[in-house]
Amino acid sequence: MTRPPGPAYIAGIYEHPVRRADGISTAQLHADVARGALADAGLTLADVDGFFCGADAPGLGALTMAEYIGLSKLRHVDTTESGGSAYLLHVAHAAQAIAAGHCNVALVTMADRPLAAAAGTALAGVDRNTMPNLPFTAAVPPMPMYGYGMVARRHMHEFGTTAEQLAWVRVAASHHAQHNPHAVHREVVTVQEVLDSPMVADPLHRLDCCVMTDGGGALIVTRPEVARALKRPLVRVAGSGEAIKHPNAGRIELLSSAGVQSGAHAFAEAGITPADIGYVSLYDSFTITVIVQLEDLGFCAKGEGGRFVADGNLISGTGRLPFNTDGGGLCNNHPGNKGGMTKILEAVRQCRGEAHPAVQVARRDHVLAHGTGGNLAGAHAAGTLILQAE
Amino acid sequence: MKPTRGLPPAPIVFPGDEPFWEATRRGELLAKRCTACGELHYYPRMHCPFCGSDQTEWHKLAGTGRVYSFSIVARSPRPMAPAIVETPEGLRINTVIVDADVQALRIDDPVTLRFVNTQDGPPAPAFTTLAAEQARAYTQAARAALGPAGADDATRFQRAAVIGGGNMGMGIALALLAAGLPVQLVDNSAEAAASARQRIADGLQQDLARGRISAEQVAERLARLNTGTDMAAVADADVIIEAVWEDLDLKREIFARLDQHARPGAILATNTSTLDVGLIAAATARPEAVVGLHFFNPAHIMKLLEVVRAPATSAATLDGARAIARLIGKVPVVVGICDGFVGNRLMITRERQAARLLLEGALPEQIDRVLRGVGLPMGTFELQDMAGGIELSFRARQRDGRKDWLIEQLHARGRTGLRAGRGYYRYEPGKRRPLVDPEVTALIEEASRVEGLTRRAISDAEIHDRLILPMINEGAKLVMEHMVDRASDIDLVWQLGYGWPDWKGGPMYYADQLGLAHVVERLDALHAQHGEVFRPAQLLRDLAPTSTRISSLKPTR
Repeated sequence: MTRPPGPAYIAGIYEHPVRRADGISTAQLHADVARGALADAGLTLADVDGFFCGADAPGLGALTMAEYIGLSKLRHVDTTESGGSAYLLHVAHAAQAIAAGHCNVALVTMADRPLAAAAGTALAGVDRNTMPNLPFTAAVPPMPMYGYGMVARRHMHEFGTTAEQLAWVRVAASHHAQHNPHAVHREVVTVQEVLDSPMVADPLHRLDCCVMTDGGGALIVTRPEVARALKRPLVRVAGSGEAIKHPNAGRIELLSSAGVQSGAHAFAEAGITPADIGYVSLYDSFTITVIVQLEDLGFCAKGEGGRFVADGNLISGTGRLPFNTDGGGLCNNHPGNKGGMTKILEAVRQCRGEAHPAVQVARRDHVLAHGTGGNLAGAHAAGTLILQAE
Repeated sequence: MKPTRGLPPAPIVFPGDEPFWEATRRGELLAKRCTACGELHYYPRMHCPFCGSDQTEWHKLAGTGRVYSFSIVARSPRPMAPAIVETPEGLRINTVIVDADVQALRIDDPVTLRFVNTQDGPPAPAFTTLAAEQARAYTQAARAALGPAGADDATRFQRAAVIGGGNMGMGIALALLAAGLPVQLVDNSAEAAASARQRIADGLQQDLARGRISAEQVAERLARLNTGTDMAAVADADVIIEAVWEDLDLKREIFARLDQHARPGAILATNTSTLDVGLIAAATARPEAVVGLHFFNPAHIMKLLEVVRAPATSAATLDGARAIARLIGKVPVVVGICDGFVGNRLMITRERQAARLLLEGALPEQIDRVLRGVGLPMGTFELQDMAGGIELSFRARQRDGRKDWLIEQLHARGRTGLRAGRGYYRYEPGKRRPLVDPEVTALIEEASRVEGLTRRAISDAEIHDRLILPMINEGAKLVMEHMVDRASDIDLVWQLGYGWPDWKGGPMYYADQLGLAHVVERLDALHAQHGEVFRPAQLLRDLAPTSTRISSLKPTR
């Protein structure tokens, strides 16, 4: 049974400006983004009594970071790790903890530096030596992108989705990224340029794939009384959902994700439908991820995602459903191989009316952020948040 | 010591998984079945992940399946397509398709089990396509058709001699030494003979460093090597292989002297790649004992040996040549005398088209990509950069007096290939990856202007047809001219000497896959626009309306 959650608000946000973190430790990045979000909210370290982080938090995670950052009043801790989607789960969990009276001011941080540390596409905290499924794919090169290639290939086979339609996702993100001074790629690209980029994990080209960056972000979730006393426009957590999907011991089904479950729960809690959403932040590890999520969240029917994104339908100002107006993981930032935090941050900016004027949507009373962490073709976790402007 | 570079790491064997890995050693793929609820699951757990019961037992899968989805690893030395395969038992499992035409994969293609070796561990399960299995079966049959694998006649070859201490001579000597033969290497220059000895020693050291042979073997092989300048030293050799400059007069002179020194019954072989073996044989009083042994570079590594039958070469000499080949681990393919024999004849036809396509509007990277898409390990321009092709082309054209503006320009600018850091492509210091160079693009565009050609966009399909179909056409002509014992010999030459993948048969097998009627139709269309080399060989026309496969043909003598 779903009932509306007790009110909780996102009151502070911060995205670290670096995209390559030479000369800054991971711990320092976490502290920097924490202070940045607190400053945005107008709160201090002493106000924080709930702390959320994932496996990118170094050492013994929350314990090490609480000490390093300087959080001495913690009475609620959550280190849910679900890949890139973790931060969507953290916000939902924070809202639930706040509604239950277990904390007042929750800080969520995310930061890592795989480029500077030459760590490649690995996720922090994953011990390959204990993964029980890995020996059975010993002959397969261990890179997540092939799983996404397989999803794209099956989607094309079943629904006629084309490489051009996939490319439109990148094109739209690039139209937005041109306005973001911190984005890794600010050049607007065409469909042909995406198709001309080298094939990386057939049928995905290089430009179908997100950037790899260092950096991170943070946000503050708090009670209504605290939020109303602060200086930022009010952004309420109106609904949330989370779900895990996996290969189910040999019954792999590639065409839909756990977003079907997480999205349904979030919409039911918020009491709205996809038609009410004016902006979406959709996890964009790859262009195909966006298409599958659009279908799973109900913005279009299953199989229609390719046609939905074609011809610039995701571009703010001209398209029906503006998406990832910061440029997304595809063009702006995908720190530590986890894109969930940055998805929430841009959704909050849009909801507040604080996005870049060239991409700010007019219809911002309900926005949605969604993440798919792990491997879309394997075990993954979906997290959906619906935010409401008050 | 087994080389383990490039193999995936040994899989971790968790407690309870041991029977799975024992089964892979037997060539079997196991899932688990729950006796409580009846469900199958993969990968195996100790418990049933559906009902939670402990009562699971091992269940052998059929080892077949269909492709549910796949991706492709770009630029992998061994073709690899990470895939999900749906088995007839209803399981969809994560795996990889290997040793197949991954560029031609389609969802629902039938696949079958094939295992991948791991580093010091049990084989890991993978799959391959039925089409690839059929091509490999064809290859095996073609190899078997060459004759017995054992070196049965080889005991008569106890001592060998090599004339010429250059690159090929050195490689041939290494191959003979590796087979256990004492080798006499003769060069008319004492310096060259000593240098050859040093380079052979260096080659053996390299093999030692790579773990291929032991220090004892290095010493033992060197001990069997004699180098010198005296031709009389070949007197007790059972086989003498000449590998000097491609100069007919020089070779004839050498063979005349060999004729004087070699013992009766010795086989006199020439490594020539372009000269008429019959003319070399005519310089001796025993042309029946003369044969061509065309090695491929590097001679101690490449398995192909084109055995060139001259008009007077006796059947006994041919048998002996085959036996020598098998003794030193080569695969002998008997060919008749014609320009380029088998391998180079097809290669040169293709290269002429590639050069032509550059002038008409294609660029090296496109042409190379199309060739790699056919399954060849490297495209022609990256291969030329690696093997010093520009230098060879330049020298060949100097000899023939043929002009080639582009080759001259590349050569004049020191763009001779990988070693120079630039050729058709440019290369970063210490790296082998070919990078597009705008300077070359500009030169090619200028070359078009010099030839008076207007450049146009050329499709991958046209590039494929203009490179591959003339090869097929030449292959058909070789069969018509009785230059090979079997059409499938052409495919073996291309697999063993030029990297045509065994999972794709060879040019003749490929012609059958394309369909001979389609090949003739395409050749006719290209003939109208691009000249005589595309006129379909009569054999192709004759076979096109039938169901006879060209790769099954044996030209009767």
